[in-house]
Amino acid sequence: MQIKSPTFLRSLTQTLVLPLLSVVTAVLVGSLFMLLNGYNPLAAYAGMLDGAFGSPTSVARTLLSAIPLLFSGLSVAFAFKGGLFNIGGEGQLFLGAVASAWVGVAFAGLPGVIHMTLAVLAGFIAGALWGGISGALKAYTGAHEVITTIMLNNLAIILAGWLVSQGGEGQTPGPLRDPDPLNIVPRTAQVAESARLPVLFKLGSESINFGLILAILAILIIWWLVWRSTFGFELRMVGLNPSAGKYAGVNVKRTTITTMAIAGGLAALAGAIETLGRNYYFAPNFNTGYGFDGIAVALLGKSHPLGVGLSAVLFGAMDAGTTRMQLAARVPSEIIQIVQALVLVFIAAPEIIRFIYRMRLEKEERAALSAGWGQR
Amino acid sequence: MDPVIIAAVLSSALRQSTPISLGALSGLFCERSGVINIGIEGMMLMAAFTGFVASAVTGNIFLAILVAVLTGMLMALFHGWLSIQFKVDQIISGTVINILAVGLTGYFYTRNLTTQGKLEPIALPGLSQIPIIGRVLFDNPPITYLALVLVFVAHFVLFHTRWGLRLRAVGEHPRAADTLGINVIWMRYANVVIGGALAGLAGAFLTLEAVGSFERGMTNGRGFISLAVMIFGKWTPLGAWAGALLFGFTNALQTQLQFSGLGSVIPHQFVGMLPYLLTIIVLAGFVGRARPPAAVGQPYTKE
Amino acid sequence: MSKFTIKLLSGLAAAALILAACAPAATPAPTAVPFRVGVVTDVGEVDDKSFNQSAWEGAQQGAAAVGGTAEYIETKDAKDYGANIAEFADKGYDVIITVGFALGQATTEAAKKYPNVKFIGVDQFQGESVANLSGLIFHEDHSGYLAGVLAAKMTKTGTIAAVLGTDLVPPVVAFKEGYEAGAKATKPDIKIISTYHPGGLDVAFTDPEWGATTAAQAVDQGADVVFGAGGKTGNGALIEVASRDGLLCIGVDSDQWETVPEAHSCLISSAMKLITPGVVDLIKLAKDGQFPAGNYFGDAALAPFHDFDSQVPADVKTLIEDTAKGLKDGTIKTGYGE
Repeated sequence: MQIKSPTFLRSLTQTLVLPLLSVVTAVLVGSLFMLLNGYNPLAAYAGMLDGAFGSPTSVARTLLSAIPLLFSGLSVAFAFKGGLFNIGGEGQLFLGAVASAWVGVAFAGLPGVIHMTLAVLAGFIAGALWGGISGALKAYTGAHEVITTIMLNNLAIILAGWLVSQGGEGQTPGPLRDPDPLNIVPRTAQVAESARLPVLFKLGSESINFGLILAILAILIIWWLVWRSTFGFELRMVGLNPSAGKYAGVNVKRTTITTMAIAGGLAALAGAIETLGRNYYFAPNFNTGYGFDGIAVALLGKSHPLGVGLSAVLFGAMDAGTTRMQLAARVPSEIIQIVQALVLVFIAAPEIIRFIYRMRLEKEERAALSAGWGQR
Repeated sequence: MDPVIIAAVLSSALRQSTPISLGALSGLFCERSGVINIGIEGMMLMAAFTGFVASAVTGNIFLAILVAVLTGMLMALFHGWLSIQFKVDQIISGTVINILAVGLTGYFYTRNLTTQGKLEPIALPGLSQIPIIGRVLFDNPPITYLALVLVFVAHFVLFHTRWGLRLRAVGEHPRAADTLGINVIWMRYANVVIGGALAGLAGAFLTLEAVGSFERGMTNGRGFISLAVMIFGKWTPLGAWAGALLFGFTNALQTQLQFSGLGSVIPHQFVGMLPYLLTIIVLAGFVGRARPPAAVGQPYTKE
Repeated sequence: MSKFTIKLLSGLAAAALILAACAPAATPAPTAVPFRVGVVTDVGEVDDKSFNQSAWEGAQQGAAAVGGTAEYIETKDAKDYGANIAEFADKGYDVIITVGFALGQATTEAAKKYPNVKFIGVDQFQGESVANLSGLIFHEDHSGYLAGVLAAKMTKTGTIAAVLGTDLVPPVVAFKEGYEAGAKATKPDIKIISTYHPGGLDVAFTDPEWGATTAAQAVDQGADVVFGAGGKTGNGALIEVASRDGLLCIGVDSDQWETVPEAHSCLISSAMKLITPGVVDLIKLAKDGQFPAGNYFGDAALAPFHDFDSQVPADVKTLIEDTAKGLKDGTIKTGYGE
């Protein structure tokens, strides 16, 4: 198997052309679907576009949805590159949020930059530990990461819930629960001002926080890490063929653990940024779904950091546009999921798109994602 | 311990293991033939929905089961079409199935649909009179019995029939199987569709036997747990069944611990973590390295 | 007196804010558009046969009563609360109803941001008073207590059960504590087996099979009255109990006789919180300019017995009526939140 580093540009066009056609086709098929069910697709999509890009506020909402999706997507994509399948984004995200909220509340009084950095780091570390557990279990006992990440998801969500729970009569509340008796909602206290991500600029009535910069940095760092660093080389080698990696002298165990830890940390950053940049507290009803959406975002982006960025924006736009689409056309919001699934189908099966548009077949390398099932 | 409570816990354990073990069998047939199926969750949900609608509209619960099973098969055919025909990455294809199922069931779910009852337990004469075991094993509704039988049928088919031999060959060494004259593509399609039927049955269990009603997203991760249990059982029906039972038992146990008032002593969340924690510990400590079918995840191209 | 002062001050503050907000921008004349009511649901649908639906019905009835119109947005994801509220607020809706305690924070923020919109937060306890925000809350422990009294009176085995959503939601805890207190007060030696769903908020209310199998586990060990309190999870418990002979079940939130017909064969009553009339009242008050800031208590009561009316002995009915009175005037305490 050959490992080469695609140039930035080549990979960019590769990521762009088919996906664009796929999105267009999915939207058209979605329209047909709505027409057959007696809804007005024009009104629906107009509403969606308006809600996603129609005003500065809309654009802001698209961006704000895209940021956590980017991180959870990068998490899945990064693990894919190493031949591992991280379905644990949801749990890692929860723990990232809890940990950053804890630091944000407990260490109030620290100077701003330090406090904020610590809070973000705490989130990353919590997720890295959680992901690292899966990696270590895989490396040392062979327990499959798909099982352990699914189980750890459930554990993390329950654990996070307990940390802020009120409990019934005669029970002690969770250790991180907001001590304010006026607040009956189970959640942490508000994080201190010093730990909050600064607002970069206002866009309409929403504010874009420092998370945007972190997102862009993450794209660059992950791109560098995967394609330019020695670790990335080992990661891809192990991902493509663990035994070849071992033969070439790569420490497969260490690579496995590190890969899962970084993937876990990335997903956790989504939680930390949401907590420190938007919510300013952790509550258990927090952002359900970002972790799982990350799988689709990574697949759509073909596990390329930039592709993941673009697909995060697309998914973010669909997220942000749903509300207005619902109001404009009274279409059940689930139509979005149908369109998202169709986009994935077309992206994944370019033959269908080529057939529809009578495109010439070109040699194209397929992203090897399912290597995650293999043994090591 | 009170035999009544033991019977209650064990029977709840069996019930909770039923959709999981059906789902695991579904994954097993797919993966043994070389096709990853992370779409079990979606197939279950979709089948649960169509089965429910069929039951509500026709009032015929057996027709409804058939509809659910057919739905599972259709979803599986789609999965096969994408992953075998178009060689779409099988994880993508499965993800598509999952997202699609959430979208379609939510989109078409209409309020005020109610079914007339659900599948009733059938007490096997004589056997159901045995203390504890009788209540747990021989006083169950039909799909629960069927699921138990299917575990052994799957074991037999997989390891003691020509079909099973070919199926495993296709999943391990498709090239070699092809040379021996086995139609790899056809075998994969057939077994993925069989897997779909089993997932469909799990869906039917949820709406037509267990709950008697449909709810958006009601599978709540049972498909993913099935996947875990399948790997836990090292891609064997009996192993997967053991995993499903363990999972069902720890779930029933955590309910019982709450019933016993333990919730006021330690937070019930700690008890709630039991099933997941136990699965990880057993997997890491006792089961060891899982080895998937060698060709799983790789599309086959005839040379 | 101090309460009045606070109200007066906050009213003045709100008025000042409204003036400040209106002064520079030419807002469209409010007389031209009809009175508009918007509902933002919690994650879930307006036809959920539960609190979203009750609130939506209240919004429609309330809007009709004041000659206005009602619209809804179904929240798909918890992260969209703020955006969904803003969707209505930016369009200049007069009243926005947000359903569920989880929207509390988002609603408070929106109320401060849009001072000329009236907000009704269903199930949202107000720690601080915001002039244009009213928390419609209920004494769930009261109706839970009544359900407990009923269960204790009706059980033949001496064992009753409760299958609950998650304790992450305060009203669920209130229902449970009330239920257990009511049962114990009526029959001190009663055995109560109850359990919360072990999962997170994402699954705790939408897991009917867990509710059903848990109810079965309770029934198998002798429980003959089961209280199902937790959305679809609780509904699963009710339907399971209905499939067995000679058992009783008690629903929650609304009169589930109307919403879960599958459970008719066991559903003796429901521990209700009357969201619909509460919402209607608050919409009328908003229209009349008498919108109450802070907390507004809706009624919590037991639903009619329907087909079981003849099975409930007269003395039990009297006891329940007396208990309801006692709870209302404070002579009976549930012990919850005190």
